[in-house]
Amino acid sequence: MIRVRIPQKDREIEVPGPKRVMDILEAAGVRPSTVLVTQGKRLLTRDQRVEDGETVEILSVVSGG
Amino acid sequence: MELPSHHSAFCPECFFVFFRRQVTEGIRKFSLISREDRVLVCVSGGKDSLVLWDILMELGYETEGLYIDLGIPGYSERSREKVLAFAGPRGKEPIVVDLGREGVPIPEAAGRSRKEECAVCGTVKRYFFNRIAAERGFTVVATGHNLDDEAARLLGNLLHWQEEHLARQHPLLPETGGGLVRKVKPLWRVSERETASYGFLKGIDYVLEECPMSVDATSLVYKEALTLLEEEMPGTRIRFYHGFLNSKPPRTGTFLRTFLDGEGRRHGTEEKAGDAEREESGEAPDSCVACGAPSFAETCSYCRLREKVLHGRRKAGGR
Repeated sequence: MIRVRIPQKDREIEVPGPKRVMDILEAAGVRPSTVLVTQGKRLLTRDQRVEDGETVEILSVVSGG
Repeated sequence: MELPSHHSAFCPECFFVFFRRQVTEGIRKFSLISREDRVLVCVSGGKDSLVLWDILMELGYETEGLYIDLGIPGYSERSREKVLAFAGPRGKEPIVVDLGREGVPIPEAAGRSRKEECAVCGTVKRYFFNRIAAERGFTVVATGHNLDDEAARLLGNLLHWQEEHLARQHPLLPETGGGLVRKVKPLWRVSERETASYGFLKGIDYVLEECPMSVDATSLVYKEALTLLEEEMPGTRIRFYHGFLNSKPPRTGTFLRTFLDGEGRRHGTEEKAGDAEREESGEAPDSCVACGAPSFAETCSYCRLREKVLHGRRKAGGR
């Protein structure tokens, strides 16, 4: 499984791997243009493949107010 | 890093070059900042303002940071820590204004004045941005508003035909006689996602959580609407905002009115007769009788707000 952390929502999900980033975002119900997907210090692009057993983070870039 | 709106994708190094060029061009196009300026950068601990401070330093401008502690339990402490952690290694010590000590913490001020938190926050921030800049000899105040912020604001202003707000919406709001310092938005050409990417790739540690007071902000609805359009038609957001800017020059006079009283003509009962004409002419404001800050009214909007808070406290204490 791929562990997907969404720290701003204090949420964590698991999706079966391997998967492309865009498919992970779809599984998490997140619009790609509103987030960054990161792995450690790396910024992932939408077509990058994430392997089973790996962890990624989804960071929202949208701020209000 | 994919940039569908520019039909491009970049590696990190090339993205840094792209981002710097966008900011440099944004500054050049409207002469926002010169090499002689002393820039007061307003930092909240969020990604946009810290990225702004970082890139202005990198571009060689003389900058200092201003952090306003809003008095929001938990969130304000965490935001302040991020600002201090950013500034220290860069040899900077931000100027800190603590609204709790000033007597106007935002949650209490909004409650006692019966106004929306974001409106109260805007009034107080504008007041201190200008006051600190004027007192300490800064020639320009810079904020981290980006393309998404400005496009969302433009959409909201158009949908509600806020003509006076449309008139003052610009990356450059010039200085005036009467004590208003120039206000600029150097990130107006870069998107929220580009700013976040730049901050992440540069290792800037910003506060991830949103201000708890802005959860229901209407700007988020406008941003979502523009995101839908952008996904279907990449480049829409840029064309929308750039087209607006290309169609008009900044109108200083109208800006003055809204800057000073925060919410424009909705507070018309508090204005002196003839203010509309004065603002259109760009006339210099008078001084607040209580604090001496620029104001068209006898007492400025900040001092009126502060008095409401103090009055509320006296009343509560007297029960």
